[in-house]
Amino acid sequence: MSIEFSRVLDQIPPSGIRKFFDLVIGSKDIISLGVGEPDFVTPWGIREEAIATLEQGATSYTANAGLLECREEIVRYLKERFNLSYNAKTETMLTVGVSEGVDITMRALLNPGDEVIIPEPGYVCYHPLVTLAGGVPITLDTSANHFIPDPKELEKIITPRTKALVLCSPNNPTGVVIPKETLEAIAALSKKYKFWVITDEIYAELNYEGYTSYASLPDVKDRTVLLSGFSKAFAMTGWRLGYICGPEALVSRTLKIHQYSALCAPIIAQYAAIEALKHNLKAVEEMRKSYLLRRNFFVKKLNEAGLPTPMPSGAFYTFSSIKHTGLSSEEFALNLLKKERVAVVPGNAFGVCAEGYIRCCYATDMDQLKEAVLRIKRFIKGLK
Amino acid sequence: MTKHEQEVLSLLKNNARISVEDIADSIGVTTATAKKLVKKLENDHTIIRYTTVINEDKMNAECGKVKALIEVRVRPEKSRGFTGIAKRIARHPNVIDHYLISGQYDFLLIVEGKNLEEISRFVSEKLASIENVQSTATHFIMKTYKEKSVLIDADDELERLAIQP
Repeated sequence: MSIEFSRVLDQIPPSGIRKFFDLVIGSKDIISLGVGEPDFVTPWGIREEAIATLEQGATSYTANAGLLECREEIVRYLKERFNLSYNAKTETMLTVGVSEGVDITMRALLNPGDEVIIPEPGYVCYHPLVTLAGGVPITLDTSANHFIPDPKELEKIITPRTKALVLCSPNNPTGVVIPKETLEAIAALSKKYKFWVITDEIYAELNYEGYTSYASLPDVKDRTVLLSGFSKAFAMTGWRLGYICGPEALVSRTLKIHQYSALCAPIIAQYAAIEALKHNLKAVEEMRKSYLLRRNFFVKKLNEAGLPTPMPSGAFYTFSSIKHTGLSSEEFALNLLKKERVAVVPGNAFGVCAEGYIRCCYATDMDQLKEAVLRIKRFIKGLK
Repeated sequence: MTKHEQEVLSLLKNNARISVEDIADSIGVTTATAKKLVKKLENDHTIIRYTTVINEDKMNAECGKVKALIEVRVRPEKSRGFTGIAKRIARHPNVIDHYLISGQYDFLLIVEGKNLEEISRFVSEKLASIENVQSTATHFIMKTYKEKSVLIDADDELERLAIQP
């Protein structure tokens, strides 16, 4: 008997991060700079609201698109914080994290052979999800332009098959925030060549030198899909709640997939999100300030330790070059883990263009950061 | 107050033992500037003292100390209001904290003593005997759940996955 699985799926290489993960799991006493989430737990007010809602018996399904009250709060928040205008009823839906949002957006947009341009280094899910949706991922290497997508380079790889471009700003893994002028140049290209821009703004609140949402630019709305959620800003990663905002034609279609594949986002998370938006923006600001101080500290120390690291303007990651060590990013990460028990994520997990770099997350306490840097310094010295 | 001053305070409030070098790196200034910022905040008494948050239940069990919260109703003085009386009370070494409050009582004191007797004696001999003090209500503190924003005996946090995309 032959059992054949999906050929498209089997074409996708296993996640580089997964392999490394298995190694780290077996190690004891490590300092982990390999996480991708806040080191805060969800603010107590939000957790308490969730408990109270559960006590009242909120255990059912909700509307496919999510509770209208929750969508209305999101729309109000997006208007106030980022000057975005969406209709809560027709242009907004809740998803199971941004990951589901990426998945169903690709599935709603793509026909076989459609190309999606993905700047790299970039988050791990875009490539595989484009492929699974029948599209063709096209890489835009940003490494020569300080990890900012260069509109000129972008224009060179646009073809008649170009269906969409993915933006992620602030970026995982680089922490880079795309400047407004670049966003405007990209918007002009999107208009000229008629392609969608899928803007993943999950780290939008965690910016340290100002921020412009791509979706707030004039005249882009009918070709823009905004993806965001609660995980990073509100320290709610495990709640699995994100949202899609976009033109009704798009949202009605992503909703069509969502109603069959997910039905609805978890009801408790939706009630928690209402509380988060109504009463917890101050907590977001406190957390942001705390990341900012640790960012300054950690980047300075990494540079002193011998890892060239630019100052990132958003998220909670540093992206350091390890090219001068002569090691591949995987070798570097592996040896650092074995010799000094510090876990970082090798750059190649974020695309071929990210080879020669490592990602560290500074959302961990200052003493741990300090100790980690000492160990990294010792490790690099030992290489010479 | 400048942004840097606020940042210095938030760092020191969280960890009074943080080095000037680490403050400098965290707020992105030179060590000399950080030193100056701290000095300025000390000199203008924004920073009054560097102290330690202690699990007092543990300490008091061994050293034999008790703490009480005392509400005090006072008749204000004609010329000085509450201030004159407040100064007389606040100077007592048993008084740890002293606030003017709204509501049925006027002062709220946190008082510390060797044992119940010492605090009772303080109330009857020192506090109630002040002419303008009309009445007091003493509440002995039995257990501390939170002190200076820190949860005492907090549950261990659950661990995060060490590697995530």
